[in-house]
Amino acid sequence: MTQWTVLYRKEMMEMVRNYKFLWIPIIFILLGVMQPVSSYYMPEILDTFGGLPEGTILEMPTPTGAEVLMKVLSIYGMLGVLILVLSAMGVVSAERQSGVAGMVMIKPVPYSSYILSKWAGLLTITLISLFIGYVASWYYTSLLIETVAFERIFQSGVIYSIWLVFVVTLTLFFSTIMKGNGSVAFVTIFVVFAISTVTSILGKYMKWSPATMTEHTGQVLLSGELNSSFLLAFITTIAILIVILISSIQIFKQKELLE
Amino acid sequence: MELLKASDLVKRFGNTNAVKGINFHIEEGRCVSLLGPNGAGKTTTLKMLSGLLKPTSGSIDFKGEKAKDLRKFIGYLPQYPAFYNWMSGKEFLVFIGQLAKLNRKEAEKRSEELLERVGLTNAKKRKIGGYSGGMKQRLGLAQALIHRPKLLILDEPVSALDPLGRREVLDMMREIKEETTILFSTHVLHDAEEISDDILIMHAGEIAISGSLGSVMEEYRQPILQIEFESQAADWLKSIASYSFVSEVNIQGNKASIVLKDMVNGKQILLKDIVDRKLPIRKFEISQTTLEDLFMKVVKA
Ligand SMILES: Nc1ncnc2c1ncn2[C@@H]1O[C@H](COP(=O)(O)OP(=O)(O)OP(=O)(O)O)[C@@H](O)[C@H]1O
Ligand SMILES: [Mg+2]
Repeated sequence: MTQWTVLYRKEMMEMVRNYKFLWIPIIFILLGVMQPVSSYYMPEILDTFGGLPEGTILEMPTPTGAEVLMKVLSIYGMLGVLILVLSAMGVVSAERQSGVAGMVMIKPVPYSSYILSKWAGLLTITLISLFIGYVASWYYTSLLIETVAFERIFQSGVIYSIWLVFVVTLTLFFSTIMKGNGSVAFVTIFVVFAISTVTSILGKYMKWSPATMTEHTGQVLLSGELNSSFLLAFITTIAILIVILISSIQIFKQKELLE
Repeated sequence: MELLKASDLVKRFGNTNAVKGINFHIEEGRCVSLLGPNGAGKTTTLKMLSGLLKPTSGSIDFKGEKAKDLRKFIGYLPQYPAFYNWMSGKEFLVFIGQLAKLNRKEAEKRSEELLERVGLTNAKKRKIGGYSGGMKQRLGLAQALIHRPKLLILDEPVSALDPLGRREVLDMMREIKEETTILFSTHVLHDAEEISDDILIMHAGEIAISGSLGSVMEEYRQPILQIEFESQAADWLKSIASYSFVSEVNIQGNKASIVLKDMVNGKQILLKDIVDRKLPIRKFEISQTTLEDLFMKVVKA
């Protein structure tokens, strides 16, 4: 077994023992299911609590299935991202702080194996949570509102996962270069927010931005067609990911690991 | 045979010169202690040898070759070892063993052996988070030994332990030194005197004294007279400094240690003095300077 595998298995075991493998998917399921359920019951909820004057006839346009799922993804884009960043912020920094990173690296472990096993661990929990949550959301949407072709769910899920992978990779990077868990989370969220905002304001000039993945996701969900600029964004995102990972490894190598 | 050689090793942290160009070598099979007061640069030196800290300049040779990645040959116990507290002791050792390139089976076997050796067999299934300081230190020793390193580096292995724990770890080190070269730092001089073959005394980033324990003691040993009084005798003690055979007088309360150039005549004259003046003494002893005296001399110089 390579050292990478040993480290990756340790990441998995740790997430099982501290219940991250339980509560993160559960949060994604809850966030995903809430939207179709609340859309479905909205008229009744308004009826009960709305306090609308007697005789008002409410014409609620029922959203389409795809619209509901778009909402779900935009919630994942805020709360989901927040949860992922908060749960991943200490991935390297906490181990450096406690000194246990030094105990690992004192053995002949390649620096890349350490960082890449962390990355793989983050990817695993992210993809599993997104997949389970999104499928649960799709199931309830089909049940309560309207069936959306699974093919579109799959495609949009894959494209959306690229954005989340970008977010957790960024978290890993900041966790490697900084020490305080809080500042890691703050800076990561700030950078993610900045990229998203700049991308949506300067849309024309930002077609390569990883943040366009969320737009491509919507596109696929609504029309089933991929925008032609997807390839550009995909390639630059992969390139940025590779650069971030390589820099994380190089920076990690330079850090003093035993205090 | 020469196992490891450090040449002109320098480490700077910003403006602090933690290690100022030191040279030393370690012979295979020896147990070497690195002594020095707080802040002398012991930990910094050991970290550089372990490969976890890059020297600012200078080089480290291992078995006569310029070292690239020494981590496979070295077992290291940090001054403050840290663990995954959610793992059990056994899990941690197997994990570390596999990182040191043992296969799963070997790692299991070796872990059991070492747990036995450091006396943690009964606690092996408990979470490390619940271990006492002494147990963690022993687990730290076990993880350092897991891949049968050529050189075992221990940074203050006994400083944090109670007398009993200290005794245990020292006994383990005595066993280990039969099979492995050991380099350990300490500021407990008694421990160094007890188990090391060679000593290096560091002070302010430099090596002040080095050599085999025997030869260093031989070279720096001086006859010394220790007198204990029933009450203070500072006046007389001050006056004797003018005798030509007295080279140094140290007074600590009712005790004094006097370094003499000529023990044979000196002790006669002093004893006569004491009788003449009817000074009340409790003890009058002739002995030799210890490692501690030497250490204090280096540090205060
Ligand atoms: N990471 C660091 N950044 C800045 N200065 C450092 C760093 N590590 C050590 N130093 C400085 O280098 C000097 C030597 O420190 P070192 O830890 O090697 O001493 P030591 O001999 O191990 O002391 P102790 O007995 O207290 O463990 C000290 O002055 C310390 O302040
Ligand atoms: Mg130290």
